[in-house]
Amino acid sequence: MSLTRNIRRFFNRLFNSGSRTIDTRTDRESRLREEIAEHVALQTEDNIRAGLDPIEARRRAMLKFGGVESMKEDYRDECAFPWLEHLLQDIRFALRMLYKNPGFTVVAVVTLALGIGANAAIFSVVRGVLLRPLVNRDEARLLYLCQSDTYTTDVNFSVPEIDDLSADLKSIQAVGTLSPLDFTVVGLGDARTLTAGVVDGAYFDVVGLRSVLGRLIGPGDDGPNAAGVAVLTYKFWSTTLHSDPSVIGKTIRLGSYNGTRSATVIGVLQPSVPYPVETEIIANIVTSPHHLSATMVTSRVHRMTEVFARLAPGATLESARAELATTYAAMRNAHPEVYKPNDGFRFTVTRIHDQINSRANTVLWVLLAASGLLFLIACSNVANLFLARTVRREPELALRSALGATSGALRRSLLAEAIVLCGAGLLAGVIIAAPMVGVLSRYASRFSVRAADLALDSSMLWIGVALAFVATIFLAFIPRLPNTNTSHAFAVSSSGSRVTPSSRRRLRVFAVTQIAACFLLLAGAGALLRALFVLENSQAPFDTARVLAVNLPVMTDGRTPEQITSFYRDVRRRVASFPGVESVSGAMFVPWRDTINFADLHMQFAVDGAPKEDGKEDPRARFRFILPNYFSTMGMPFLEGRDFNDNDRAGSERVVIISEALAKQLFPGQDPLNHKLHWTDPILKSSSMSPESRRIVGVVPDFDDTGIIPDPSMTIYQPSDQEGLSGRLFVRAKGDPYALMPILTSEIHHMSDNQPVERASTLRDVRAEVMAPDRLNAIVFGGFASLALLISIVGVAGVLAFSVSGRLHEFGIRLALGASPRNILSGVLSEGFVIALIGVTVGTAAGFALARVIAKYTVELQIPGATPLIISAALILAAALIASAIPAIRAASVDAARALRAE
Amino acid sequence: MTPTNNPSSKKTDVLQGTLALMVLKTLDVLGPLHGYGLARRIEQISGDLLAVNQGTLYPVLLKLEQEGAIESEWGASENNRRARFYNLTKAGRKALQSETQDWQQTAAIISRFFEIKSEDLP
Repeated sequence: MSLTRNIRRFFNRLFNSGSRTIDTRTDRESRLREEIAEHVALQTEDNIRAGLDPIEARRRAMLKFGGVESMKEDYRDECAFPWLEHLLQDIRFALRMLYKNPGFTVVAVVTLALGIGANAAIFSVVRGVLLRPLVNRDEARLLYLCQSDTYTTDVNFSVPEIDDLSADLKSIQAVGTLSPLDFTVVGLGDARTLTAGVVDGAYFDVVGLRSVLGRLIGPGDDGPNAAGVAVLTYKFWSTTLHSDPSVIGKTIRLGSYNGTRSATVIGVLQPSVPYPVETEIIANIVTSPHHLSATMVTSRVHRMTEVFARLAPGATLESARAELATTYAAMRNAHPEVYKPNDGFRFTVTRIHDQINSRANTVLWVLLAASGLLFLIACSNVANLFLARTVRREPELALRSALGATSGALRRSLLAEAIVLCGAGLLAGVIIAAPMVGVLSRYASRFSVRAADLALDSSMLWIGVALAFVATIFLAFIPRLPNTNTSHAFAVSSSGSRVTPSSRRRLRVFAVTQIAACFLLLAGAGALLRALFVLENSQAPFDTARVLAVNLPVMTDGRTPEQITSFYRDVRRRVASFPGVESVSGAMFVPWRDTINFADLHMQFAVDGAPKEDGKEDPRARFRFILPNYFSTMGMPFLEGRDFNDNDRAGSERVVIISEALAKQLFPGQDPLNHKLHWTDPILKSSSMSPESRRIVGVVPDFDDTGIIPDPSMTIYQPSDQEGLSGRLFVRAKGDPYALMPILTSEIHHMSDNQPVERASTLRDVRAEVMAPDRLNAIVFGGFASLALLISIVGVAGVLAFSVSGRLHEFGIRLALGASPRNILSGVLSEGFVIALIGVTVGTAAGFALARVIAKYTVELQIPGATPLIISAALILAAALIASAIPAIRAASVDAARALRAE
Repeated sequence: MTPTNNPSSKKTDVLQGTLALMVLKTLDVLGPLHGYGLARRIEQISGDLLAVNQGTLYPVLLKLEQEGAIESEWGASENNRRARFYNLTKAGRKALQSETQDWQQTAAIISRFFEIKSEDLP
């Protein structure tokens, strides 16, 4: 039969419209009846004509026509899809059966819903954050250049480096640059600090973005004589400025650390992923005086700029990598004094997509793996319950098969139940997945800016459907069908369920799988919890709850450096006079929060008069600018010497305070006070810091303001007023520090109405904010692990309960022969314990194998220490014992007489 | 629960295949016919194929109709009662042609095999 005919037949069946006259089932039935009647009538008439008497004529006509009912059956099969109709019938039957077993149904549906929901939610996040393409034109051709050294993973590029790198490239069409900085902006509502970038004219064309309003910065805006122009990013424009179109053409003032410039707002950028910083405003280079200064343009080590590149047509990533690596190597060789072998300079080129994903990658894939394990556990669990139920239903299935049901029909009835369960699980799963996506995307936004604009879409539903489908197949085809041998079937149906060894083995395999997967999750969660525990337990060297940090960005607009210094001095004096204030100080960084810029930069220095050893590099130390009373405001004592005071100002003797680590390392066994040191780092040439000698006037305890877990490193403190910047205010309060905010804000605005007062927070809250990702990590994985544990307990309890109910007869005999209930109790308990033990062993082996495989492909995973492993194992074994307790008690309390009579 | 496949289904398929071809050919030669008329003609020509179980004709008719090879409408029978008349469609005529060809080819090959004697083979 030809294909087209089959297809036509299929559709005719589907719509039941083989001819225009055949419409409904009843029509067809009545038509057939009428045709049969007519057929028999005509045959009868022919027979009468042939000489038979009417009754005999009709009898012969009926005989000749043959069996009417079996013909009708064939006819009906021809009309529609008998298989489908039977399945629908089976589904109705399954619904009734499941309704009668609410316990089984609820457990199975909830388990499946958790498995499907968690996976659908996490996959949506993975897809939205990692897989979705960027809006940038031809994003696959957009590259990110990255330079790193031993001390920092991304050190940016200096202008001379960019000039060297981008000269005469064949595989690169164009190079665009962006230098991140903060602007204090006046003219867009309240004066405020905005995360900003200054870009060259090629930038927007290279990254391939459009404007939604006005125009973007182009080549015409390059050069020192261009007019200042600024582009707003979409998020800032739509949220902070409420999508006000009249902002185009406005003149604003942009303040950065070397002065303030005017700029005209010329456009709004399309919604896009900002990288590497969440820029709110992007301006041309002329708006930042520092970026036009001689040090910026000529110094090779003054690295402040990010470099993006677009592949030339026909070029591949590999060819670009090779060409850029050659160029970079040539540049390194030309300037050996800058790229010292010890500094470990490295250069990499990545697709921007991969670069943006790099942080979220591991976290999200690990999360997806965890949810995959959860799905495995959920499926195993439901398969267990299902299998147990099927075995218990064996008499019924055997009876049906004895009555003529084929194995296909029995399988179909199992399939119907699986479809109902998984369908309900899918529905519930999708319902719980929607809010889970919200939670997860908030979690993922800690690792990737892309999580912020994550939207729910139909892909989540499709994933759910696919998972439900997998689960359905799994459930419908795993149970073994009963033996169709009729006599055996009747023997079974009369004597209650007998558990076949192979079913029991399968049950055990599922239980072990669950325990193993659950153990992996628990161990992972345990490791994360321990990491969090270590963080939570690491103490700051002082009471952080009472120290308030407030950002008071430096406003350079129309002020001399002396005016700025005296403004901060006035602020300090006035705030110190507030009731409830113990101490006031200021600095350049808020500990733990302002770690992005050069808080982690270690600069080389030397002690005056110390012999210079050949081939040995000068030591490195962090530098901090602080104001008087910094340590007393933080609550740290002086080990030796004195604090800075108002006389340590520009023009007076240069002084420093050093950390204990520096004192111990460079002045072992001697008094460091009044020794002198000076900076020797090459970067000094391009900064305003002087290489002059500075006298040590004090020693303070080590204080790591970059990491939650303190890592004592050498630090040199300099007075802000002498040389350097301020911008952060610290207030030590007697009571609630936040209660000071209203009066503090109004006082500062009274002194200078354009002065932003931002991000007030106690240092304790700063630390909590920094630890939030770790806490979220632990909560998410802990949640997963406890779900898995719960499901596994249900699974183990189910297996044992089933095994016990199949062996009641055996227990009865054993009790009758004199076994004590205690024997039977411990027998069942140990059965559960052994399952859990095997599961833990398998889980450990699988975990180590998995870690090795993952390490081969992506990153080295940390194998959790012994403690979380042992605790997880103990937890699982204890849970398994508890889960076995109920069936064990039931087994031990079997009434021997009744169990025997059941035979 | 109805078993969907019984042991005799294979035989029925063969029978149905031949029957379908006979129906098409009969309608091609004689024009529109009702079910009984078709059954009688086929019985006359084929002998005992439809001597019993004439009812099996009706599922075949429905199948052909759903394939679009034939169409049907109500009409009046010889004794002026309502009867369903079947007629060949254009597609049915084409299907008949191609299947007749196939059938003749197959029959020719098979008959050649049956004519072979051992001395004919080298």
